[in-house]
Amino acid sequence: MEETALEVEAMSKTYRERGRQEVRAVDNVSFKVKQQEVVGLLGPNGAGKTTIIKCILGLMQPDAGEIRVFGQDVTKHYPRVLENMSAVLEGSRNLYWRLTAWENVLFFAGLSGISSRDTHDYFNYLIELFSLEDKKNVEVRKLSQGMKQKASIVCALARRTPLVFLDEPTLGLDVETSLELRQILKQLAQQEHRTIVVSSHNMDVIQDICQRVIILSGGRIMVDDHVDHLIKLFETRAYRIALDGHPSSELEEALAARFSSINMAAQKYGVEIKINLSDRDDIYLLMDMLRSHGAIIDEISHEDIDLERVFLEVVRRERDEYASGHSI
Amino acid sequence: MNMRLGTLFRTVFRRELTMMTRYAVNTVSSLVSIYILFVLIFLGMQRLSSTMAGEFLNDTLEGTIIGFFVWTFTIFAYSDLSWSLTGEAQAGTLEQLYLSPFGFRRVCACTVISTFLLNLIPHTVFLVAMMATTGHWLRLDVVSLLPLMAITVMGAYGFGFALGGLALVYKRIQALFQIVQFIFLACLVVPTRIPWVRFLPLSMGNSLIYDVMVQEKRLWELPPMSVLTALGVGAVYLAIGLIVFSRCECVAKQRGLLGHY
Ligand SMILES: Nc1ncnc2c1ncn2[C@@H]1O[C@H](COP(=O)(O)OP(=O)(O)O)[C@@H](O)[C@H]1O
Ligand SMILES: [Mg+2]
Repeated sequence: MEETALEVEAMSKTYRERGRQEVRAVDNVSFKVKQQEVVGLLGPNGAGKTTIIKCILGLMQPDAGEIRVFGQDVTKHYPRVLENMSAVLEGSRNLYWRLTAWENVLFFAGLSGISSRDTHDYFNYLIELFSLEDKKNVEVRKLSQGMKQKASIVCALARRTPLVFLDEPTLGLDVETSLELRQILKQLAQQEHRTIVVSSHNMDVIQDICQRVIILSGGRIMVDDHVDHLIKLFETRAYRIALDGHPSSELEEALAARFSSINMAAQKYGVEIKINLSDRDDIYLLMDMLRSHGAIIDEISHEDIDLERVFLEVVRRERDEYASGHSI
Repeated sequence: MNMRLGTLFRTVFRRELTMMTRYAVNTVSSLVSIYILFVLIFLGMQRLSSTMAGEFLNDTLEGTIIGFFVWTFTIFAYSDLSWSLTGEAQAGTLEQLYLSPFGFRRVCACTVISTFLLNLIPHTVFLVAMMATTGHWLRLDVVSLLPLMAITVMGAYGFGFALGGLALVYKRIQALFQIVQFIFLACLVVPTRIPWVRFLPLSMGNSLIYDVMVQEKRLWELPPMSVLTALGVGAVYLAIGLIVFSRCECVAKQRGLLGHY
């Protein structure tokens, strides 16, 4: 009946240490993830992604909030609830370096009580999917960074949990390996019917793998929306306008005063304006202003926009609102 | 769940076995250096014996062999545990162990039992080497010795849990890890004739092991009160260690210290 895989309600976490300033790492965060959804947690370093994931997994104690996994309250059903979740955590080894990749897979699967020989086919399928066949019996410490990361993901997947967390899966990998891993994860998300939560500070990763993205900044959720939808939304409001000749300084001032996101750059032919309009009707206002100051419009086009732009825009707006809220 | 608990134990045991072979060089080299220390002491005692009664040397020698055996066995047990808790926290595998649906406690129990069983192999070889060197053959009554070793080592695990837990929260505690070895040594050399010594960790167990190996008593021929005291003392130290550990675990979960930060 219930098709929610994960439910986080009003979760907060502040780090308090003597002699150090308090850090409010997670601030009243709530979200739901449906079964088989692939969701991204996007945000710069320090946004609280790792803290959120560790609190859900019970590796950390949140100060407040409720967490339910497949309808079960995590605190009440700990540790049995871990039959439903596995994770590759950020920046740590996740694996025994003195064991081979295969030995690690068997160990971590066994740690969840999975041992029967029938599962070996599945483990081999994972090893192949991540192209680790040749390195299966090599000690992990001898593998490259990228292969270590792949082996960690295989170990987490080998536990066959319906919900999987991948915290910064491409961190520290070179561009090529990162691209390859993203390709594999995309394939995995399509082939397996699991619920996956991927965190990253890199928009490309999220854009590649996820259907939905939750954008975090300073421990708070800024946006929670479908990736396609978000991009489309901003696409319709991001304009690039080429002016023939230079606008008067009055016009420049008037525009800057009215549109905080405006960006004007001198070009050979005149001036290029890039602007994100928060209100749909603002485009008419902009046209009015340009016309009344006698500017000649050469070209208007929608700007191509990716999550990176969306992200920067969201953070900028948040800052503006915060600043204006505090000046009152 | 019970059947799967067997899976968990087999899984952990296999990891310990594999790790033991991968780290065999470390194990062998530390045992060899303790063996060399033993040989030096033995030679010194032989020197002394030329000026003293032979009976005295025999008693001391037997005590020394057993003391060395119990000492190395307990410090291995203790340091395996404390270093693996902190080492795995730093490496990042500890958090993965915490993600086991069996719970960390069960995983830990399996680890402790596995290392106890596996450590018997190199330490028995070490014991035999000491006996061969000195020409003093003591009785190896496995049925009586195994339970007594388990009772004795409980105190060592208590220390392992306590210090391992404290080191999760206060990283600097690691400097104290080595000191515990000397505390153990002290507990093994003080005679249990003194009443309060019975309440030290290891002491009582060690004295009972002596009775089995030298006086050739069987487990059930030992004074029941002594066995119970050894068991009770071991259990109390283990319990204190576990309480300290779970307090520290709680703080570590508050501050996010189970992984490296
Ligand atoms: N164990 C910790 N103790 C103290 N502060 C921490 C700890 N872990 C994270 N922080 C702080 O909390 C904030 C959020 O961190 P984190 O959750 O790691 O963010 P992200 O994963 O998005 O980079 C940061 O300011 C970080 O410095
Ligand atoms: Mg992080």
